[in-house]
Amino acid sequence: MNKIGVFVCHCGRNIAGTIDIDKVVEAIGKYPGVAHCEDYTYMCSDPGQNLIKSKIKEKSLDSIVVAACSHSLHELTFRKAVQESGINPYLVEIANIREQCSWTHSDQEKATEKAIKIVRSIIEKARLNQSLIPVEVPVTRKALVIGGGVAGIQAALDIADAGYKVVIVERQPSIGGHMAQISETFPTLDCSQCILTPKMVQAAQHPNIELRVYSEIEDIRGSIGNYQAKIRTKASYIDNQKCTGCGLCSTKCPIKVGSEFDEHMGNRKAIFTSFPQAVPNRPVIDSEHCTYFLKGGKCRVCQTICPTQAVDFDQTDAVIEDTFGAIIVATGYELYPRTKLLEYGGEQYADVITGLQFERLLSASGPTEGSVKRPSDGKVPMRIAFISCAGSRDPEHHMQYCSKFCCMYALKHALLYKERVPDGEAVVYTIDVRAGGKDYEEFYIRAKEEQVICLRGKPGRIIKDGDKLMVWSSDTNSGRPVRISFDMVVLALAAVSSSGSGELAQKMKIPINAQGFFSEAHPKLRPVESLVAGFYLAGCCQGPKDIPETVSQASAAASKVVAMFNQEVLYGDPMVAFVDEDLCSGCKICITTCPYNAREFDENKNIVRVNEALCQQCGCCIAACPSNAAQQKNYTDDQLLKMMEAALGGE
Amino acid sequence: MAENKKATYINIEPELRDILIEEGAGDAYKCYTCGKCASICPWFEVGTYKFPVFRFSNETLMGIIASSEDKDVLTAEIDRIYRCVGCEACVEQCPLGVRTPDILRAARRLLVEASSYPETLKSIVQKINNVGNPQGEPRERRGEWAKTVGVEIFTPAMDILYNPCCLPAYDSRAQAVARATTGLLKKAGIRFGILGEAESCCGEAIRQVGAEKTFQQVAKANIAAYIQAGVNRIVFTSPHCFTTFKNEYIELGGNFETVHITQLLADMIVSGKIKPLRPFEKKVVYHDPCTLGRQNDVYEEPRAVLGGVPGLELLEVDEFSRGLSVCCGAGSGGLWMDWHKGERIVDVRLDQLLATGAEAIAVACPYCLQMFEETLKARNSDVPVMDVAEILAQSVL
Repeated sequence: MNKIGVFVCHCGRNIAGTIDIDKVVEAIGKYPGVAHCEDYTYMCSDPGQNLIKSKIKEKSLDSIVVAACSHSLHELTFRKAVQESGINPYLVEIANIREQCSWTHSDQEKATEKAIKIVRSIIEKARLNQSLIPVEVPVTRKALVIGGGVAGIQAALDIADAGYKVVIVERQPSIGGHMAQISETFPTLDCSQCILTPKMVQAAQHPNIELRVYSEIEDIRGSIGNYQAKIRTKASYIDNQKCTGCGLCSTKCPIKVGSEFDEHMGNRKAIFTSFPQAVPNRPVIDSEHCTYFLKGGKCRVCQTICPTQAVDFDQTDAVIEDTFGAIIVATGYELYPRTKLLEYGGEQYADVITGLQFERLLSASGPTEGSVKRPSDGKVPMRIAFISCAGSRDPEHHMQYCSKFCCMYALKHALLYKERVPDGEAVVYTIDVRAGGKDYEEFYIRAKEEQVICLRGKPGRIIKDGDKLMVWSSDTNSGRPVRISFDMVVLALAAVSSSGSGELAQKMKIPINAQGFFSEAHPKLRPVESLVAGFYLAGCCQGPKDIPETVSQASAAASKVVAMFNQEVLYGDPMVAFVDEDLCSGCKICITTCPYNAREFDENKNIVRVNEALCQQCGCCIAACPSNAAQQKNYTDDQLLKMMEAALGGE
Repeated sequence: MAENKKATYINIEPELRDILIEEGAGDAYKCYTCGKCASICPWFEVGTYKFPVFRFSNETLMGIIASSEDKDVLTAEIDRIYRCVGCEACVEQCPLGVRTPDILRAARRLLVEASSYPETLKSIVQKINNVGNPQGEPRERRGEWAKTVGVEIFTPAMDILYNPCCLPAYDSRAQAVARATTGLLKKAGIRFGILGEAESCCGEAIRQVGAEKTFQQVAKANIAAYIQAGVNRIVFTSPHCFTTFKNEYIELGGNFETVHITQLLADMIVSGKIKPLRPFEKKVVYHDPCTLGRQNDVYEEPRAVLGGVPGLELLEVDEFSRGLSVCCGAGSGGLWMDWHKGERIVDVRLDQLLATGAEAIAVACPYCLQMFEETLKARNSDVPVMDVAEILAQSVL
């Protein structure tokens, strides 16, 4: 016979504000098998935990139910607490009467009734719980970093410096990401490439880092400690061993197309390296535009001219498989499509450009070598509008959230423009200037001192005005209509999750939020971990953030990975599936059902066995088993039925 | 020594705030005063008149709309509140979906309650209250026009009821639209009738004006009359009647199947019930009525009808068509307001329409028709304004 102790938490007013705690304690105190029931303001606090420990001793309790918040918040806390009192940690259960009761209801009487039922059903589960021992999981001490922007590079360098192997998978032909495109960074205005390229080179030369550029993740399986990833490297049609990166091929290629790196502000060839400092410094052939591929083997200029015979038109995609103990997602962001902003002309005006396009115009290595010229006619614009919140903070039509770094880069753009064109007029349209960050407010003031005009008013229209663009807004400070004619308009477009994030999240089975960003395990306390063990997040894939924040998060994610790799062995949850050998008929249905290959057939006994290290506790086998032989530890059918009876039963 | 004027400060008036919210100004809480609404408000297009729409939200939350005890200030404020034409250009663009016309309507309700609203509008409200139409014409003559073209009173055996709006019922110019429409319906073999003197104005305009009580009375009487006559399906000439029956009568118990005439005409052409054969050799620009387009998403059907007329070259107002169309100025009581010359929205829109080089202006709303036609007459312009149905009738009948 169990001696169950039930501890009811007030969680300040969070639970006690809605639920009549005294009534719960009274009802539960009388429930069969309950040897002790008591309430306390904050059960998770030290005194709260000590209360549980002292009652275990005093009343020789053998299993514990804590009626409080959610499992994910404090289950571990209470498991540790009872373990110190000599009780197996898996004999602790949480009855969630906060998220699942007090927070969602306002009627005290009914909420209290529900809370009692929740606690009773959990008591029924606790009654049949078994002591369990965590499953030992071996660790592959090699990390996968998805995305080779500054987040991925930083995370990889930190892990590699700690002595572990890392593979960076990058979709583009070079690592570097958006930071490589940026001219100068706020608030210090140091050259983005000058600070990034040394890190890129460092990553390429690091003995522990392997770069896989022009590559994408095809599939990921497994669990923490042992993820199997399938990585596809697209054919670049270049033999990287032979190629010296001399660049002769690109100079002679006759095909010109818009350069993705230059955001179509300039051109590249069909055989190209993204930018002069690309890492690795190896070209790729874009088969969608190359004459050889379009016209059945014609042209071959690059092949003829290459001094090392590195061009190989017969190359095919390569798929490799590898095992990783941990994965860092650092897939970054992209800009919200301009086509959706019809009031700003969609894509119809050549001189309305994006923030990243303006970065390329400002960049010394960009298509205009750093001089600001407008796309339509190459004239130097004498008046530029910088529109912030273009697609951000607009739940009705676009993105609900604030993209966070646009205020600062719009100010930076205005400032850099004033520096390039001192007679030029820069107007930054804002709703609120959000300059929260170290030295950011100072930067805002500096921009104003340099005669950047900050106009408070979100523009409603951009209208063609001869060869200029008329921006309609109001000045909300004076309440007056404003119509200013500009030579060029730069949109600070919303930052959205990189295309393909959804598919990647699906492959990895990790959650993304409604806006498409990867979800962290806890918004405050576990901001760099995903909800799935072994996955970590770095940079804008988790939400818009600027470079310092991105780098901080990348280092934090790396330290999490390193801490995990430093452990001798990992322990997994023991609530895994098991097989009742007496009931198993050896039909093998569960083997085909298991998504994790965690079940194998024992030929001698004609039964199925569970590989506990691989089992992810999904429950598929249990649902599929026709003879009830497949069960899950501490979640047996018996327990679930008893829980349901208690939850549905009346007084 | 000159005496200093006593300084006045804004304070918060929570009671007035609560009443405004009660009357439908709740969206004020959403607003972050970005000012985008004002930048596209048609009042920003006329002369030097300042109409900072975005200020109404905060003024609502502070409870300081139309609360001044200074008579001149109050008069100016009433003038400001009755500027809004309910075109919803701001609603369409607002990042937060703030329905500013509803905020202003709440303020108008208080003004109507206090009988402190423009005299012209008072007379309209009274006429609709007394005889069921804004012209003040006798109720019994409402169906008179129909007799001349052989249109009968609706019976439940008919397919659909035709609601011609008050304007065509009494106004001879607008009657031409009703005649063209009924001619097309007959040609297509549709069995239809009108309600005649049993119906009143739909009440849309007076609801926007703030006369909620009168609206409720008129609307309930209409719903009862339509139900009694056994009406299920209604086709409208005016987008204002259309939207009122479609979107507002529902909450008062009037659940009818509604269709705008341009939708029905487009269907009739597709199904081959009518065939536009006679050419209409003109460049025609189509003006999107706010109530049909922005408020009910009917953009394509009127264009499909015009596009189906042989010889007709359909023009668009570059950058200002469909959802970005500019109001004619007649909505929410604007039809009856007499603003100073140089302060009229209709001139802005007409300039845009004429700049396309159009030889005719096509509309799908009797308000737009009247606004444009009267203004063009005053300008001595000979560019005709025609309802979509009239143009189609010339090609079909």
